[in-house]
Amino acid sequence: MQKIEAIIQPSKLDAVKDAVLEAGVDGITILEARGHGRQKGHTEFYRGREYTVDLLPKIKLEIVVGDELVDKVVDAIVGAARTGKIGDGKIFISPIAEAIRIRNDERGPTAL
Amino acid sequence: MHPPSESSPSSPASIDDLRALYAKESIALEQSFARTSDGVAAIRRRSTLVDTLVRRMLPLASHGKDAAELMAAIAVGGYGRKELFPYSDVDILYLFATPAAEEAHKQVVRNANQIMWDIGLRASPVSRAVKECERLQTGNVEFTLSLLDARFVAGNEALARQLQSQVLPALIPREWTRLTEDVAELARSRHKKYGDTIFQLEPNIKESPGGLRDHNLAHWLQTFLHIREHGGMPGSNAAATPPREDAEAAFEFIADARCFLHFRNKRDDNVLSWNAQDEAAAQSIGLETAGTADPAYWMRTYYRHARAVYRRVTLMLDALPATRLSFYKTIRRRRSPIPGTDFFLEDGRIDVDDNAPLSDADSILRLFCIIAVQGHSLSQRAEDRIAEVFPMLDLHMPEGPFLWNVLREILLGPHAAHALRSMHAIGILEMLIPEFHGIDALVVRDSYHRYTVDEHTFVAIHNIHLLRQPSSEWEHRFASLVKDVDRLDLFLLAILMHDTGKARRNADHTLQSVELADGLLARLDFDPEERQTVRRLIRNHLEMSSTLRRDIFDPETVRSFAEKTGSQMYLRMLTLMTYADIKAVHPDALTPWKAENLWQLYIATSNYMDRSVDEERFHVKSDAALHRSIASLVSKQNDRLANFLDGLPQRYLQTRRPDMIRDHFEMSLGIVEHGARVVLRPMRQLYELTLVTQDRPKLFADVAGALSAWGMNIIKADAFSNDAGTVVDTFLFTDIYKTLELNPTEMERFQKSIEGIASLRTAIEPLLRSRRQGANGANKVKMEPRIEYDNESSTHSTLLQIMAPDAPGLLRRLALAFAENDCNIKVALIDTEGEVAVDVFYLDRNGEKLDGEMQHLLAGSVYEAMDPAFSTLA
Repeated sequence: MQKIEAIIQPSKLDAVKDAVLEAGVDGITILEARGHGRQKGHTEFYRGREYTVDLLPKIKLEIVVGDELVDKVVDAIVGAARTGKIGDGKIFISPIAEAIRIRNDERGPTAL
Repeated sequence: MHPPSESSPSSPASIDDLRALYAKESIALEQSFARTSDGVAAIRRRSTLVDTLVRRMLPLASHGKDAAELMAAIAVGGYGRKELFPYSDVDILYLFATPAAEEAHKQVVRNANQIMWDIGLRASPVSRAVKECERLQTGNVEFTLSLLDARFVAGNEALARQLQSQVLPALIPREWTRLTEDVAELARSRHKKYGDTIFQLEPNIKESPGGLRDHNLAHWLQTFLHIREHGGMPGSNAAATPPREDAEAAFEFIADARCFLHFRNKRDDNVLSWNAQDEAAAQSIGLETAGTADPAYWMRTYYRHARAVYRRVTLMLDALPATRLSFYKTIRRRRSPIPGTDFFLEDGRIDVDDNAPLSDADSILRLFCIIAVQGHSLSQRAEDRIAEVFPMLDLHMPEGPFLWNVLREILLGPHAAHALRSMHAIGILEMLIPEFHGIDALVVRDSYHRYTVDEHTFVAIHNIHLLRQPSSEWEHRFASLVKDVDRLDLFLLAILMHDTGKARRNADHTLQSVELADGLLARLDFDPEERQTVRRLIRNHLEMSSTLRRDIFDPETVRSFAEKTGSQMYLRMLTLMTYADIKAVHPDALTPWKAENLWQLYIATSNYMDRSVDEERFHVKSDAALHRSIASLVSKQNDRLANFLDGLPQRYLQTRRPDMIRDHFEMSLGIVEHGARVVLRPMRQLYELTLVTQDRPKLFADVAGALSAWGMNIIKADAFSNDAGTVVDTFLFTDIYKTLELNPTEMERFQKSIEGIASLRTAIEPLLRSRRQGANGANKVKMEPRIEYDNESSTHSTLLQIMAPDAPGLLRRLALAFAENDCNIKVALIDTEGEVAVDVFYLDRNGEKLDGEMQHLLAGSVYEAMDPAFSTLA
């Protein structure tokens, strides 16, 4: 099992969600996030005040899938989230030791 | 005392017989419910069945001794009320004459309990001596409450009679304070656990606010009051209060639903889960009509009942009379009449005498204005009396300006949502606005809507009023926008109507809401501009939410949204509407993340609007449709219309209705003869002056100076010009000295004066010398004036934004500073935030942007103009 964490533009959420569901993912966790990579923030002046946006709004997705599905899901995310511009986001993949379904204590990939 | 429902059996029974009887009858009971869905019949039947079992098992438990001598078996709690739900515990009290008797017969109670479990009953027994029931047990008010429903089943009936006729009537008045405080605390902490709202996605129909426990609580409180007033249990004399119709209907629905849940889940599970709702609706549980109902409709029925129960119980809890009163409470309890109405204020609640005529619809409506302003609540009696006079009110229901004045006062009151809820609960809101009926308790059945549509609307209105006292940083930001909404009344009306279209399914609800609002706006006698404001807000209330799902830092997203929005005022209202609307979906819907994004979109759009005016100009060749639409309104000189429209900023066209543009065009036709044309239009709190003339140096400075000299305080202004140099300037101002209001004949002289000065037929200097100076007094705002140049946003002009404490004549001094430096104002956007002037000027010099040296030079003049020491008109 692998955990796929993807940081994407908020405007791409619907497209990415549809794409990963299409790729065979059953469950997805969506978090509102802020941050920046190479794409730095900017400053907006409004009515004499300075509003600095150094942490940009992003959406973080967390998906845990069986090893066989990882490439397909990553492709789905990249395909749906890419605009080619700076700020499109990142994907991180890490191994998962165990998954447990709380309701019935089911364990392993079937608990996903 | 409730008599036993059946005489004791003559022959003893075995436990096996009783178990078989219970099993057989339970199956029959379930089958009967499956056929009829009659919950009340089911719980009565099970209570009777358990009565029979208790009477027949008691001889077994006492091993042949006569139970009548030992103790009384008394049904308490729900069983006592004959409301024994299919999988509920059987609460039974074994009452003994003395503690010694109780001690001596402990084994009988143990036996009885064992037999009941053997039969298959989930017994919840308690044994007490009579004396133990005479006092309130600390931390166990529930036991005393359960005694209120005591019903003799078997054994020593005299003991049960003693409990009801002597013990309880003495206990309740004696322990009144503790009892009522404990009961109220218990209820309030339970309500708090459920967020103090009936609107739960998957409600527990026993424990949730408005559920069965609240229904019972109302019954207990009624019993308390009855004992306190009459000295005996209800039913023991003729003065018992009959149950209310709405309470009975709610109980029947909840009884049906709870029986359904028990049979469905095979246990005492009272949560109306998502799936359970679907199944209950499919079987029309609790509904009068048979067949399959829509789950949303079914839940709507549930919420209506829950609302009636919750409202009743909260009114009763609030109205509980206290025994000891503080000085403050004594003052509050004094009865004071509410002038102009039949009502009076007592103990912080609005009440009415039973014999008050209530024949005047106006005074009842006025009552809700008072509630909106002061936040008082109606007593149950006042609500009931108002509900009684419905038919009479219906005959005299006001419309037009009177109705709007009432609605306006209510909407603007800090407790508007509270007043609207009260009106809605009684039915008055729907009488005034029948369009609201469709969303009464309407459920949006998804996982994130916490409230029904009507409640969502009230919460949204409340969210705006909460901004009067902002707490978080971003609340402060949005609160700053409320102050700058000119027509908060229209804005709040738009919120009131924004989701009414949800009642009509399978269609875009925003369009449907506009259609429904149209009927109301017509009845309110609104002018076209007011109608347009409300209609646009309703129509576009999802526009900003939808834009938030795009990349809000993409200039194209901002440009597109700004074009749809049109004006700063409208942008403010739309931002606030989005804020209030999202926050009213559920308490946590507006996360700081979303609030921040909403604010960023607002400021980006606001800045774009201020900085893009002369970039986007109208040209007849590229937009013939608008030209045709205005042309259709023009009766003559049609050929000159294109000249007038060519080169006007899109901002001007977006913020004016076609008929207003037509009027401005017709004014422009009079320039040749009169030099300038001026139209003055009184608005609610402001005056609007529109000037159409040919541009010339110092024009803006002279007109601003003339207005100040007349004692007018300019709040907003904008100045636009077309390719031919015709300017359309609009000034919104307050009449500080009420010159125009108190002397209507001055209106004409005022207009002529402005026309004369604009056309240079009258010199401005004598007017400036003759008028008062420094009329506004010292500005309370202490801030350093600030200017900012932007040479990027426009390809033709340099933008200058100034922020300075507002002062009399400031606008004229600024305009003079530009003129003295040969700078031409191409566009001016004048705004005032509280006592701070926030102005944006598009300037050029000899047709070019201002270079760095010129900017520096002009800055010196502008700072001098903004210096309060120069706060004069000259």
